[in-house]
Amino acid sequence: MTDALVVSGLTKTYRGAGRGPRVVAVDGISFTLAAGGSLGVVGESGSGKTTLAQMIVGLAEPDSGTVVIDGRDRRDLRRGRRARLQRATEAQMVFQDPYGSLDRRLDVAGALADTLRRHGTPKDRIARDVAALMDRVGLASRLANSRPHELSGGQRQRVAIAKALAIDPTVLVLDEAVSALDVSVQAQILTLLDEIRAESGVALVFVSHDLAVVGQVTDQILVMYRGRAVETGDTDQVLRRPEHPYTEMLLSSAPGPRWQPERVAELRAALAAAT
Amino acid sequence: MTQNSAAAPAVRPLTGRTGRRRHNAWTVRLCAAILVLVVAVAVLAPWITPYDPYLADFGSLWLPPSPDHWLGTDQLGRDMLSRLIAGARQTMLGAIALLALATVVGVTVGITAAWQRGWVDAVLGRVTDVMFAFPGLLFVILVIAVFDSGTGTAVVGMALAYAPAIARFTRAVALDELARPYIASYRLQGAGGLVICVRYLLPNMVSTLLGYLVVLFGEGLMSLAALNFIGFGAQPPSADWGLMVAEARNGVIQGYLGPALVPGLTIAVVVVATNVVGLHLSDKLAVRK
Ligand SMILES: Nc1ncnc2c1ncn2[C@@H]1O[C@H](COP(=O)(O)OP(=O)(O)OP(=O)(O)O)[C@@H](O)[C@H]1O
Ligand SMILES: [Mg+2]
Repeated sequence: MTDALVVSGLTKTYRGAGRGPRVVAVDGISFTLAAGGSLGVVGESGSGKTTLAQMIVGLAEPDSGTVVIDGRDRRDLRRGRRARLQRATEAQMVFQDPYGSLDRRLDVAGALADTLRRHGTPKDRIARDVAALMDRVGLASRLANSRPHELSGGQRQRVAIAKALAIDPTVLVLDEAVSALDVSVQAQILTLLDEIRAESGVALVFVSHDLAVVGQVTDQILVMYRGRAVETGDTDQVLRRPEHPYTEMLLSSAPGPRWQPERVAELRAALAAAT
Repeated sequence: MTQNSAAAPAVRPLTGRTGRRRHNAWTVRLCAAILVLVVAVAVLAPWITPYDPYLADFGSLWLPPSPDHWLGTDQLGRDMLSRLIAGARQTMLGAIALLALATVVGVTVGITAAWQRGWVDAVLGRVTDVMFAFPGLLFVILVIAVFDSGTGTAVVGMALAYAPAIARFTRAVALDELARPYIASYRLQGAGGLVICVRYLLPNMVSTLLGYLVVLFGEGLMSLAALNFIGFGAQPPSADWGLMVAEARNGVIQGYLGPALVPGLTIAVVVVATNVVGLHLSDKLAVRK
């Protein structure tokens, strides 16, 4: 069986602002993800998570390295409608900002129908599929004619997830998809994602700065620090026995039972000395 | 005294739009009513002129207002009210054609530049800058010198003179809009560039563009009138307002103010009204966003 997603040696450098130094946003990241698997990407702000996510789905061009989905290289030079639609079925993304990621002119049913139509669902099946999608992501049918500004943040993210599911992608990348939501809504969305993964076999790449959240939905974790992968492994193992001081720092930074401000400061100093 | 000032709210609500309101509601309503009236008159012009606006009557030159001729007659004895009504149609049609053409060109260029970025954006931006720096009226006069005077040339020339401003504004709005994740999401879905720009981007920009275009409509109307006044646009016996002012100039020296003043004032009123309504629209739509 081929892996759903194979990322090897992905690197991207941004020219610094003005005369500023160049920023190596992502530096030689590699990993593989099986169909139906889930990978959490964690790291503090600026560690390159969004850049990695964008390269996986094709919103950013890597300087070097490859992304292979279902055995097909994403750096595919074919143009035209068919190639675009084909690439769309490989990877979809849910964005952090639940306000900006939906077209404010389209209501829920309209946005879903638009997506289905683009991907060739016949006319007479659209209404039925829209209803099924809404049901699947837990959106009440009375919301069908609500536009984004009439929805809560959690509802909007459900719409965004439903839009991605309409395309039935191999890989679904979620960039801080629950960060803007409050804790109880976060939990609901995470449960939904788990269900969807079990049902559809979609491979999830779940990007977050929050280790606790990542722990809930993923089997594997990749810890990023300044563009590099400093630790990878099974989620349980990484969370219980972090090997890299940075991971340990992330773990002890989170306010909660394991919060140790002194330890964080200590680790941060050690980390700064090491790099 | 001190107590009073302490009781005043120290923090103004952030959502307050006090700083944005430029006109009170009645001014806006009055101006909107004026525009509606002018448009209605322009549409109904062929049926509501009391006299033939082009029929000279040398027995009744420069007549003052009377029950027969509410606004008097001009230097050829033509009924001023009829000419004003017929002129409304021509003047509005000219300004609408000008704005429509300028908008099609400007919006196309602006969106293309914002979508393509890179060298396309650089080239279009350079061309726009050069045209922008060139005085509009001068540009039109050049166009007319090369081609021919007449309403068509004046409208096309003016439209090209206005297009760069629209292109610039559109590009800025489009860049802002294209940066939003919903556009990225359409790209990921496999929608093509043309579809994204025309079906999704453009409708989402309309409300922002609208107020700006209404203001430009007033400006365009005034520029066309100026062009007609100096004789580069509409030609006699057209009842275009700018041309009416020009043709009645001689009367001013002889003491007959009406025939020049009436169309002149009408132009001023319509331009001010479109400005007020346009700015109000921009403010309101900006607040809603
Ligand atoms: N378009 C860009 N142009 C220039 N530099 C960029 C650009 N996008 C990201 N960067 C830089 O690349 C680095 C990684 O940014 P990235 O957005 O990937 O981090 P992140 O881990 O997603 O952070 P956050 O948790 O805050 O979202 C940062 O130093 C950032 O300043
Ligand atoms: Mg990010």
